[in-house]
Amino acid sequence: MFLLDDLFVRPFISIIDALHAMALEELYDVEGIRDALKENQLLYEIGELDEETYRERKETLEEELRVAREVHEQVRNKTIEVNA
Amino acid sequence: MTTDALYTYGVIEREDAEFDVNGVEGVDRAYTVDYRTLSAIVSEIGTVEPEETDENSRAHDDVLQTVIEERTVVPMRFGMAFKNEATLKSVLRGARPAFTRALREVDGALELGLKLVEREEATVDREAVREDVADRLDHRARSVVENDLFSDRLVLNRSYLVDRSARERFDDAVAGIEEDYDDLIVQYTGPWAPYNFVDIEIGGQ
Repeated sequence: MFLLDDLFVRPFISIIDALHAMALEELYDVEGIRDALKENQLLYEIGELDEETYRERKETLEEELRVAREVHEQVRNKTIEVNA
Repeated sequence: MTTDALYTYGVIEREDAEFDVNGVEGVDRAYTVDYRTLSAIVSEIGTVEPEETDENSRAHDDVLQTVIEERTVVPMRFGMAFKNEATLKSVLRGARPAFTRALREVDGALELGLKLVEREEATVDREAVREDVADRLDHRARSVVENDLFSDRLVLNRSYLVDRSARERFDDAVAGIEEDYDDLIVQYTGPWAPYNFVDIEIGGQ
């Protein structure tokens, strides 16, 4: 009986794991943050952002990028906790 | 400073040259290391893994700007540092056909960048703008590359490889675009080393 349960449950768990990993990767969208950094630079260069706003945004985005890269690394190495 | 590595900015046709520059990692000198028909432009820095800070990226571009004033260069991407001259020369030896071909392809030309940004509150027919700009500029360039539209505000983001001799007419054509489109902000940059028109993969350091 235990064997049967295990066989039924395991595929669902691995699907949930995969969905969770996909959700994390989407939430921590490295490409999106990189684009936001480039946009911030562009808007500063064309004079739509003052230097202070530009620097604050840049700092925030760089921190987001660092976290996002870390999350991706953990998802790849499967060291991140998955609470299905 | 202890010399640990040769930071490499780009490759030119063989020439003995020295440059007073603000280089990567704060160095003030760049010079050439030769291998047969090629010369690499290098600086001595204290690490094989320089950090890609704003200052270092700018310094990398600035050195290449100095180099392209008078010669054709195949630029390296940021971060190519080799542990010694022998390693660098072995890379030049391995990639010599690719460098030679790339130098021929970009010889006598410069890279210019054009971004068109929609003004806030404005709406333009993006497809029509892109076609019009292509009609006005593409025939004046040796080659064109379409870059990412990384912002919703960006209507166009292209790089052009333009003959030095055609530069003035190209500038005039861009000025015409700026005049004709009130709803667009034109960001015209360069000349740059031809980053977008050479594609050489360098292996391990």
